[in-house]
Amino acid sequence: MAARRKKARKSKAQREFVSEAEETLEGMREGLADLMDQRAGLQGDGEVDPELVNRIFRAAHSLKGLAGMFGLEGLSNLAHHLEDVLDGLRLGRVALDSPAVDLLDEAAQLFASLLERVGEADFDEASVAPIDELIGRIDAAVSAQPETADELSGLDLDPALLRALTEYEEHRLRENLRRGRHLYLVDTSFEILAFEEGLAEISEVIRGSGELVSTLPSPGEAPESQIRFSLLVASELPEAELSTQLDFPDTRVRSVGGGSDAGESDAKASASVPVPDPDPADQATTPVELGGELDSLRSISDTVRVDIRKLDELMNLVGELSMQRTQVEQIANRLAEDFATARVGDELGRIHKLFDRKLKELQSGVLDVRMVPLRQVFEKLSRVVRRLRRELSKEVALEFSGADTELDKLIVEQLVDPLMHVVRNAFDHAIEAPEERREAGKAAEGTIFIRAIQRGNHVLIEVQDDGRGIAVERVRELAEARDLIDPEDVLSDKEILDLVFEPGFSTRESVTETSGRGVGMDVVRTNLAALGGMVELSTEPGRGTTVSLTLPITLAIIQALIVGVGDQRYAIPLNSVLETLSVDVEAIQRSEGRELLNLRGDALPLRRLADEFELDSSCEDAKRFVVVLGLGDRRMGLVVDTLEGQQDTVIKPIQGPIQQVRGIAGATEQGDGGAILVIDVASIVDETVRRRDAA
Amino acid sequence: MQRILIVEDSETMRSLLASSLEEMDPPVKVSEAASGFEALRILPRESFDLVVTDINMPDINGLELLSFVRRDPRFQTVPVVIVSTEGSDRDRDKGLELGADAYLVKPFEPEALRATVSDLLAQPR
Amino acid sequence: MSGLESFGTAGGDWRSIARDAATGREDEAPVVLRELLVFRLSDSSYAMPVDRVREIVRLRAMTPVPRVPDEVRGVITLRGEVVQVIDLRMRLALATAEPSRHTRIIVLHGEDDRVTGVLVDAVREVVRVPEEELRPATGGEGDAVAELFLSGEEFVSIVDLDRVLEFRGDE
Repeated sequence: MAARRKKARKSKAQREFVSEAEETLEGMREGLADLMDQRAGLQGDGEVDPELVNRIFRAAHSLKGLAGMFGLEGLSNLAHHLEDVLDGLRLGRVALDSPAVDLLDEAAQLFASLLERVGEADFDEASVAPIDELIGRIDAAVSAQPETADELSGLDLDPALLRALTEYEEHRLRENLRRGRHLYLVDTSFEILAFEEGLAEISEVIRGSGELVSTLPSPGEAPESQIRFSLLVASELPEAELSTQLDFPDTRVRSVGGGSDAGESDAKASASVPVPDPDPADQATTPVELGGELDSLRSISDTVRVDIRKLDELMNLVGELSMQRTQVEQIANRLAEDFATARVGDELGRIHKLFDRKLKELQSGVLDVRMVPLRQVFEKLSRVVRRLRRELSKEVALEFSGADTELDKLIVEQLVDPLMHVVRNAFDHAIEAPEERREAGKAAEGTIFIRAIQRGNHVLIEVQDDGRGIAVERVRELAEARDLIDPEDVLSDKEILDLVFEPGFSTRESVTETSGRGVGMDVVRTNLAALGGMVELSTEPGRGTTVSLTLPITLAIIQALIVGVGDQRYAIPLNSVLETLSVDVEAIQRSEGRELLNLRGDALPLRRLADEFELDSSCEDAKRFVVVLGLGDRRMGLVVDTLEGQQDTVIKPIQGPIQQVRGIAGATEQGDGGAILVIDVASIVDETVRRRDAA
Repeated sequence: MQRILIVEDSETMRSLLASSLEEMDPPVKVSEAASGFEALRILPRESFDLVVTDINMPDINGLELLSFVRRDPRFQTVPVVIVSTEGSDRDRDKGLELGADAYLVKPFEPEALRATVSDLLAQPR
Repeated sequence: MSGLESFGTAGGDWRSIARDAATGREDEAPVVLRELLVFRLSDSSYAMPVDRVREIVRLRAMTPVPRVPDEVRGVITLRGEVVQVIDLRMRLALATAEPSRHTRIIVLHGEDDRVTGVLVDAVREVVRVPEEELRPATGGEGDAVAELFLSGEEFVSIVDLDRVLEFRGDE
């Protein structure tokens, strides 16, 4: 019929436009239908999927664009009005039950019918009466919406506060009003130095029973020392209830409006406020009286859960205090040395001692709070082993002792991965298949035994298996094959075993699902070094292997020796320093290209830190200092230019693209904001010992 | 040297604002607050000649901060420049109504910020 | 609802038709913008994605680190964190220069202890560039620049941070 004839006159571009627009319209009308369903289903609540509204909005937006590009002003204008209503709906400016929303589908329908006529010679869409008429109705419906400012200005609120609300906050306020919640203004005032803590405390209580819409600061009565806040709160609770909850000093709660049916609803609401159930046992013995009930609630638990980050902050503070303490000590010493200031110096020294003692107590108090038993880690390991046992159908028992041994929470967390690795290695590779075990005269079921023992400031964790053990010759072959050592190198069995921890010893292609053949032992060592610990291996072929992890109990604060080379300073953890010596350069002997020092009859291998780190040692003196380092049964001397005293330090990891720097364990922040690198004693000793053996 | 306080919770934006203001001629001293609360703490400590603030911040918003500044006799006359992403017209109107001296919509040229700031600093208070 | 999903996705040759028809009007296809931080190195402009940037700090005391490539100029402390600083001039094989009062360290976000500082000559501005205005780089600079865009008369090179921060094998 007529339509077909007209259609034929459309240009190709127009046909494309119409089909695109039709498709968009169709999707939009589907969306609108969903929207109406949601509105019907949730009448009175008004919750609607914001994503849905957004999608319909975008459809209207692209219709507007499409029509605009083809110069169809009337249609573009219509789509524009659709878009406005949807934008308002999206931002909560237009309520879902607004009559404007009812007009959306009508507008979409009109749009569709006009699309049919695009391309007709006599079609002048810009002057189509129904468009103007519908636009007029949409405008009327939108403006018939209660003016938002009016709605809010009905509240008993300082206009200054209303003016300071962002559009979003206004929307929240209106939303809460619509849901019949009460609005309150909570006025509170704080010392300016402590307002954040105080405010956080109040805000938390408020959030527990409503919504904190706005926080408006005002100058306090004495503006230099006080600050006032007006908190705009929406809550279901009646005023009396909220006042009781917000029982803070200098705090007043005032109702400013809202609440579905002001007066009587208060009674209803208070009846529905849940009263915490007292413990039944307490109920039997405690008379139901508010004070007593509160007491009993308070006494149920004498522990608090604390965010570990708060403890970290505390620890950092204590660490910083310790560093400042060191400075005070230095000043006291300097004053005491000078005759003119000796008395002040002595006095400061005395005060410093007291301060130091209290600081140490504070330190150990904070550290103590952070201590957790290893039990959790052990439980995690046993879950993993149970799973492996199922999946690999291998018979392995896991036994523990020392689960109550305590370590710093952070260390325990960092320990999980390396320990898991060691256990998986034992499970996967060390323990033989049942047949093989029986042939070797062992029980079919293998055993992995983990035990933890505290030794002074360290905890030793041993992972012992009764598997096949490690063949030293095989390790040597592999190490040679991977160019870690030369065939002519002379190494002790222990040193060969240590090669297992070298990066590059294990190969990637041998990675299995559970672990790799020794994969990650280098990572295990690195992880432990970062914690200030170390890992060692001992094995008895045919009988089993023991991996020993030694860890400091606390990460916290370590005593470090500060040494200088050229213009650089480094920190050496004091727990691996045996002694320091002042030596003449002359006294340093050479043997096969290696430097040695005769230390009470023993040959102490030396390394110059300047050479190790390629530093300019401009030291002209004939005197050098030797820091004697001891790790297990190995000893060496590190030659430096100067000794600059001891310091309490907090070791931090070095962040950045290069994750491991051999010889550096981390860094520590200085009072002046600079950093000092902390030497990784274990790796320096390793290098030295290996070089000596290789020589 | 005149002092400027930048209040902005995004670290990137804050340091960008700071470094563009630091290139002003004559030089100014720039302080930074990472939140509205921090601004409340810092404001009384130094006498600032100008405040640049973001609107959307987690603790108190820039309008609330502005309202505070305008109601405190100590800071009443300090010029305030609001910088905000995706300027909602309503928020801008409110800012100006509350007494903001300028309103810039991000992203803007550093030169525009510097020009606005030096104009305001040059005006007698 | 599936019909809704296709909103705004203009079909095949629709785009070209629309472009023909659109005379000076704004294109309605969603424009994807990239937010970039522009900075100076030597006498050229470079840029990096803003979302990689954690903060920008002034040059401060740097502690050299031994046994690392020269491009790692040292470490700085930032509120208790210790962070490596990479000299971007060296990394891009440009001539080194003395720091000036404009020198800045752009601190990048990093997971797993990989927060990194990048040393640049000056920080300029944040720009938003439509995706279609980006063009592939012509090579050079060790492939560390993948894309370019034109800002006024000048080409700005977008640094491929993942390339620049990869030190594998250097150690």
